[in-house]
Amino acid sequence: MRMDTVIIGGGLSGLTCGIALAKRGQRVAIVASGQSTLMFNGGSMELLGCVDGKTVTSPLQAMATLPQGHPYSKIGVDRIATLAERATQLLADTGISMTGSAAANHWRITPMGVAKPAWLTLSENFSIQDLDNLPCKRLALMCIRGFFDEPNGMLAHGLQQLGFEVDKIEFTTTDITALRRSPSEMRASSLAKHLGGNSALQRVADQINSLASHADIVLLPSVIGQSDDDGYRTLKTLVNKPLQLVATLPPSVAGMRMQTLMRHYFRMLGGNYLMGDSAVSGTFDGDRLTAITTAKLGDMPLKADNFVLAAGSFVSRGLVADYERIYEPVLGVDVDADTDRDRWTSFGVLQPQQYFRYGVATDQQLHCLRQGKPVANLHAIGSILSGHDAVKMGDGTGVSLLTALAVADSITAR
Amino acid sequence: MAERMQLCNLSENNFEQCTKCSICTTVCPVAAVTTDYPGPKQAGPDGERYRLKDPAYYDKALKLCLNCKRCEVACPSGVHIADIIQRARMKASEGHRASLRDTMLANTDLLGTMANLVAPIANATLGLKPTKLVMDSVMAIDKNRTFPAYSRQKFTTWFKRHAAKDQDAYPNHVSYFHGCYVNYNFPKLGQDLVKVMNAIGYGVHLLDKEQCCGVALIANGLYKQAKRQGRVNVASIRKAVNMDHHTVLTTSSSCTFNLRDEYPAMLDLDNSDIRDGISLATRFIYNLVDEEKVKLVFKQDYKRRIAYHTACHMQRMGWQLYSIELLRMIPGLDLQVLEQECCGISGTYGFKKENYERSQAIGSILFKHIENAHVEAVATDCETCKWQIEMSTGLPVENPVSVLADALDVEATRKANNLTD
Repeated sequence: MRMDTVIIGGGLSGLTCGIALAKRGQRVAIVASGQSTLMFNGGSMELLGCVDGKTVTSPLQAMATLPQGHPYSKIGVDRIATLAERATQLLADTGISMTGSAAANHWRITPMGVAKPAWLTLSENFSIQDLDNLPCKRLALMCIRGFFDEPNGMLAHGLQQLGFEVDKIEFTTTDITALRRSPSEMRASSLAKHLGGNSALQRVADQINSLASHADIVLLPSVIGQSDDDGYRTLKTLVNKPLQLVATLPPSVAGMRMQTLMRHYFRMLGGNYLMGDSAVSGTFDGDRLTAITTAKLGDMPLKADNFVLAAGSFVSRGLVADYERIYEPVLGVDVDADTDRDRWTSFGVLQPQQYFRYGVATDQQLHCLRQGKPVANLHAIGSILSGHDAVKMGDGTGVSLLTALAVADSITAR
Repeated sequence: MAERMQLCNLSENNFEQCTKCSICTTVCPVAAVTTDYPGPKQAGPDGERYRLKDPAYYDKALKLCLNCKRCEVACPSGVHIADIIQRARMKASEGHRASLRDTMLANTDLLGTMANLVAPIANATLGLKPTKLVMDSVMAIDKNRTFPAYSRQKFTTWFKRHAAKDQDAYPNHVSYFHGCYVNYNFPKLGQDLVKVMNAIGYGVHLLDKEQCCGVALIANGLYKQAKRQGRVNVASIRKAVNMDHHTVLTTSSSCTFNLRDEYPAMLDLDNSDIRDGISLATRFIYNLVDEEKVKLVFKQDYKRRIAYHTACHMQRMGWQLYSIELLRMIPGLDLQVLEQECCGISGTYGFKKENYERSQAIGSILFKHIENAHVEAVATDCETCKWQIEMSTGLPVENPVSVLADALDVEATRKANNLTD
């Protein structure tokens, strides 16, 4: 089977690249081995949150100080602002409405109550523009009885540390109580499935209206809207006070929705999303990759003019570490990683870890290298790239979105 | 040494690879509509840890699993969650006899043979309200269900009378595993396949012996019978693949999945030498066209707007690509690819009275997508999805092979493939 472009990996970067290419009329297939880490995203994108241990307020300015090997430096720092705007528009096209600016970070609130710098946040999620100038005083934190995915105490404490007065208000409804029959089901995604209907939302609104009358803003865990934001908008009209959602522990409802909307949009554009299949090997001819074999398609390989490696990092098994080495398991392309196993990690789990920055080696145009030489029609994008650190630098989702768009540009420019 | 150590750590069904991320539970269609089912993570790898300790931890709620395999498709860690659940059910059912109702529903071929003999009576009777009420109360087969109509003539009878003698004349050959549905309920699909294959120069042949693939037997706990029938099928397919050098084509995604993947996973039947010789017809035809071995010519005036529904087992096999891309070759066809959602029937599951409401609740998301797609028909590779979608949306549902047969200009295609009369 022949495509214009085949993308290995169906997460944020793979879908973004696939959408950009399909929009320009390309025949694209995405091979996605299971759900991606997008399911763990609480509803924010980060461009650049921290450089050399210092919090970044203006990502566009801070870009200039990044080392040569960082994916942003490879794309070209002067292109970042435009690509960032295009990424925001692409997300909006799929139905993901986010606010924020690449020029100035705002603050998202983690489920543990920590404020972290962010570039874009879902319009329905609670975020803070300026920590020195809080948007209001009194927050009502609605705590769902028996809910697993929100450490309420830590969240409330974190918000108090930021300067808010927080009322923790426990509540339940008949729909929520029914779910508690199966205690393992008190998860964000299960609640989202059972709180979808208008009458269930009305019962939630009734509780909020009777219990949270003194708050400036009401905060509810993000447990509505698995496939769209209709539920949130309905609930907003039913609640008397301004209503915002706060991210939960994963799998996150917002992440599931983003994944669903992007996949749906990609399919609408004629893209093929091969869910649950995985690339197993590639066939090279000189400096070109000609085809990949997948587990499910078996003896019928996927051929294409261009290939994109968007398989994610260790957690998605785009990179594999065994007792001796770190490698890219599908195509066997070069990786930037220490050969000395003792240097992979640092003592102390919260310390910056070397392996966070490991990834596949690429040239300046993000072509993968194979035995030191660039593969002319194979690019890498997203978390699998070396030279960035999603955990410590807060650049993971930004790298995924922007490298995806930059590579889509290179592919269609030919 | 290190690698050997890692190999020692591997257990059946990738059980220990589960990272407890819960993604499987978020895609489970059953957990989405009922709190009676604990979801695949709990029912599968989590529960398995307890069951390994003591089989008494087996939870009866596991029978609510549809075996749709969506949990496995979503799992980022490659855990065979549904297989773990099915194996647990299998183990717990040892020594128990399946009920009369389950045995009847599971024996699609026996039921089919009897019904074919008296098709007009069977169809009329099965559709009557009193019959439905008796089946509902005595057999616990839900009264809202419409049994698929039985054909008066079996596919194999039609084939032997009208098609068999012409097949040797073609330059290339395939065998056909028609399955119960084509044989007893809907011979037209088999006829459509013969029409398409003949038009591109392929003679179609039946297997020496074909028995029901057993997908419904497995679902209803009749493992021994499934294995017995599986042995017959594997032997027949082995002869076709290894002796006659035929690819064995199918037109049902569930039969295909069962023959290729469930035989080794559920019934311990070794099919490794013939697995690659079993292919869905759409995959086989797509590949012939893709490799420019055959040409398809379509009717000039053909114009339709249809939606494609990916059946759960089709998605598990990962072959929807072939049916979709094959349909996209038809110039007059406006194809809407639906987001993959379970239709809720899952073979015989939705026929059972205790499952009816749940089955319809599960399917409601898909039915809504279909309604929003504004199409005149739906295409899918699974016959039970067909019954469910036809009953629930009122739209006709066709196998992609039938869509293809309908759109094909047979004479022009024969000419394009250098076939003379």
